[in-house]
Amino acid sequence: MLLHGADHKKRDILFFSLPYLTVYVAFMVFPVVYGFYLSFFDWNILSTKVFVGLKNYVEAFSDPEFLSSFFHTIQFVVISTPLIIVVGFIMALIAVRPTKTGRISETVFFLPYMLSTSVVGTLWAWIFQKNYGLANQLLKSVGLSPLGWLTDPSIAMTSIIIATLWWTAGFNMILFSAGMKQIPEEIYDAAKIDGAGSFTTLTKITIPLLRDTSLLVLVLQIIASFKVFGQVYVMTGGGPYGTTRVLVQYVYKTGFSYFRLGYASAMSILLFMVILLVSVIQFLRKPDETQ
Amino acid sequence: MKKPFDILGKLFIVFLIVLWLAPLIWLVITSLKSENTVMSDTLSLVFTPTLENYRKAFASTLLGRWMLNSLTVAVVTTILTVLIDSAMAYVLARIPFRGRKALFIFILAGMMIPFEVLIIQLYLEFTTLGLANTLAAVILPRLALPIGVFILTQFFRSIPLVLEEAAFIDGASRFTVFRTIILPLSKSAVFAVAIIAFINAWNDFLWPLVAISSSEKYTITVGIANFQGTHGTEYSLIMAGALLASVPQIIMYLLFRKNIVKSIAMTGIKE
Amino acid sequence: MKRMTGLAIALLLLVSTVSVGAQNVQKPLEITFWSLFTGGDGEFFDAMVKEFNASQNEIVMKTDTVKFDNYYTKLTAALAARTAPDVVVMHQDRLSTFVPSGVLLPLDAYAQRAGIDLSTFEQAPLNNCKIDNKLYAIPLDVHPIIMYCNLDLFAKAGITKLPETLSELFTAAETIQKKTGAEGIAADNTTATYKAYTLTRMFLSMLMEQGVSVFNADNTKANFNNDAGVKAYQALSDMVNKYKVTPKGLDYDSSVADFRLGKAGIHFNGVWVTGLFEQQPGLNFIAVKFPALFGTNAAWAGSHTFAIPAQKSIDEKKVMGAMKFIDWMTNHGYLWAKAGHVPTRKTAVDTKEFKSLPHRADYADAAKYVFPTPPTSKWPQCYDTISDSLEESIALNRDAKTALTRMEQTINEILKK
Repeated sequence: MLLHGADHKKRDILFFSLPYLTVYVAFMVFPVVYGFYLSFFDWNILSTKVFVGLKNYVEAFSDPEFLSSFFHTIQFVVISTPLIIVVGFIMALIAVRPTKTGRISETVFFLPYMLSTSVVGTLWAWIFQKNYGLANQLLKSVGLSPLGWLTDPSIAMTSIIIATLWWTAGFNMILFSAGMKQIPEEIYDAAKIDGAGSFTTLTKITIPLLRDTSLLVLVLQIIASFKVFGQVYVMTGGGPYGTTRVLVQYVYKTGFSYFRLGYASAMSILLFMVILLVSVIQFLRKPDETQ
Repeated sequence: MKKPFDILGKLFIVFLIVLWLAPLIWLVITSLKSENTVMSDTLSLVFTPTLENYRKAFASTLLGRWMLNSLTVAVVTTILTVLIDSAMAYVLARIPFRGRKALFIFILAGMMIPFEVLIIQLYLEFTTLGLANTLAAVILPRLALPIGVFILTQFFRSIPLVLEEAAFIDGASRFTVFRTIILPLSKSAVFAVAIIAFINAWNDFLWPLVAISSSEKYTITVGIANFQGTHGTEYSLIMAGALLASVPQIIMYLLFRKNIVKSIAMTGIKE
Repeated sequence: MKRMTGLAIALLLLVSTVSVGAQNVQKPLEITFWSLFTGGDGEFFDAMVKEFNASQNEIVMKTDTVKFDNYYTKLTAALAARTAPDVVVMHQDRLSTFVPSGVLLPLDAYAQRAGIDLSTFEQAPLNNCKIDNKLYAIPLDVHPIIMYCNLDLFAKAGITKLPETLSELFTAAETIQKKTGAEGIAADNTTATYKAYTLTRMFLSMLMEQGVSVFNADNTKANFNNDAGVKAYQALSDMVNKYKVTPKGLDYDSSVADFRLGKAGIHFNGVWVTGLFEQQPGLNFIAVKFPALFGTNAAWAGSHTFAIPAQKSIDEKKVMGAMKFIDWMTNHGYLWAKAGHVPTRKTAVDTKEFKSLPHRADYADAAKYVFPTPPTSKWPQCYDTISDSLEESIALNRDAKTALTRMEQTINEILKK
């Protein structure tokens, strides 16, 4: 306990926490509550709200566009998550070395993360452009036929994932590197003395000791993937014929193009609940974080 | 036995590095090509470079204006975030009271709220407040950064109490202690939060897209997406614009790379 | 002392004369408006506003361009809060979203007071701005879908007559492909930056050419799962799948680029790309109204209109000022035609300025054959859905019945909500 009178304690608590709490409640908590409230109404801004109870939620589950958008988001999460984590891990193995190669690798692999969504989306939309893009130019130069990277529904999502991988794998690399650096050198030395090869070291020592980091990476990656929007919006616009439309885009369209705010709010709340579920798992697994 | 594996490994690493740099190199090459040479279906690395696209990018858009807007938003967001978040963290780390733990959890729960889920309500809120289509609307919702509070709280807790105790005995107020002891000792944590706030603010896309309706108030991310929409197939122009939009971050990265990396790493390290 | 007083009085008199004089000079009335024009359109529009401001002293127009994608969000919020500007540009097909909630002023009386002779407007686009027989907007232009033909490629392929019927269209396209190696028809059929709206626009036009409207009379059910719909869908599908005169997976930007670079013989698109094609050196083309593929003429058209938002309290001066602006803008439609759009005012079309513009006169008659999109607030979502559905069915080469039944089901679901 600190030795000073409790005289200004109340004042200080208010003074220090009010700015944050004001912004937090006004712009993060209140919108969630308001969104929850709106989800029980039909509202198009122009007329008065009409109470409809759970109708919006029921509609979502029978709305083929909601279900397909949700499915596309899940598709993105399920395919991209292991890919971006594993690649991030491999990058970390390379970058964590104190050699020149290690430093260059770290710099290069993380650089894309600094770019904004629209720059990444625009760049990769250009690379995957059907007639003049780099990807098809490379294919043609080795005699293969060009692909509809963004126009073929069986490939479009993959293209988006490739762009996302390039953009964000470096972030996971940093987290894994930090975790690796925390493993005491002595453990590796002991293993070497015991005659363990690099593969054994990797699988029996490094990976198990990175369990906590891996969990953090997994949860952060999943949460980020659920929110995917920018690069899809710029690269395919949700096409071809809506086959890459993700949930956030559908919510955005429903609210801002079709003006069905109650319905859009309901879908937002559903997304929120899914993300909440995933986040809660993280917090349950690491109880000491909240102390 | 080890050698060929080593060489293979080294080659693989070099291959990966080149692979990762290739898109950016392609971006630069495209931006330096004249428009008609870009629309060819054969790979051509030989060409006469031109700066025409950069000139056009500045001339035909409000690129400079957009970058200024992004800079304003990012700087103001960063400064205010650091101030507000560290003040909050100070309470959580140093002023015990009933319910403090609950408050901490309440604040951390904010990390689970995806911004995307809030845009509609935020938009309505700001329209009601009469602040729609202002840079203030872009800045305000970002200031409460839960991860920032988290990093700072953990860090403040690790500062030895003796320094503050001495100051209090001398009659210093909490504010003085905060300003003269806590903050100066927390440079790395503060810097980490500043960097996270700056990058988030600069790269923000969805919220500025919704909040801003006048083209001269766009941030650069929205401007570039808009640019792509209105210039259809002028790829070299678009690439030039994209590169210009990224210059500040690339410079920041090259200058502060070590610190940026450390900040990201801090989000994951347990005390 | 006396001198000073004298001087002071003189100064006082001088100042008061000047200030009274200043009050007598009328400050121009400031009228605010929102326009959704960007790019080339935006430049032309801004130039016209500037000219209007310069042409008189009573009114000065102030503008604020909004990114097209978000325009209606901002507008809707502003209309609801009664904080919208004095006059707004609005697409005709959005009127049915706004009029029912009373956020737009009916203009019949104001038009009369402002001395605007409504009979000088082309009646089709003007009538499309009426809801329940009241006029809620005044059309500045119609921008229909038309047909662009590359005259050099036509000549090279030995085609002397512009196609008018469906079979002539396919024959011409096939001949062009065989004899010149160029693309037959550049019509976008995949989503990229934009959805494949061209497919929908052609579909709607072809339905109307057979006298069929896409929805039933009260906009509660789809009306295209019938003979007319089959013929229209089949034409589009054949274009891509049977005659292969349009490449699969062609997106909007690429289809425009293909025609612009002389790689396609025929291009279906709205009039707004005329300006772009004109500036392309070496492109020798003609632009005509959408052909009567099924016997009669009809063409999908968007229409930019001016509407006046309802405010908390109506400022008559501002409304009349806005009407004056609208009058001037529509009368000077030949300036707006530089952007490729078709003026809606006959008095603007009948000018030598308009007639001297290349190409515009060739398709100006398209304005006679435009029809309104279904006046329902669900239209934006239906428009998107039809585009996706047509895109998908054509890409998967579905037969007409299956494609139309699926589309009908989805649309009816939306209309029901």
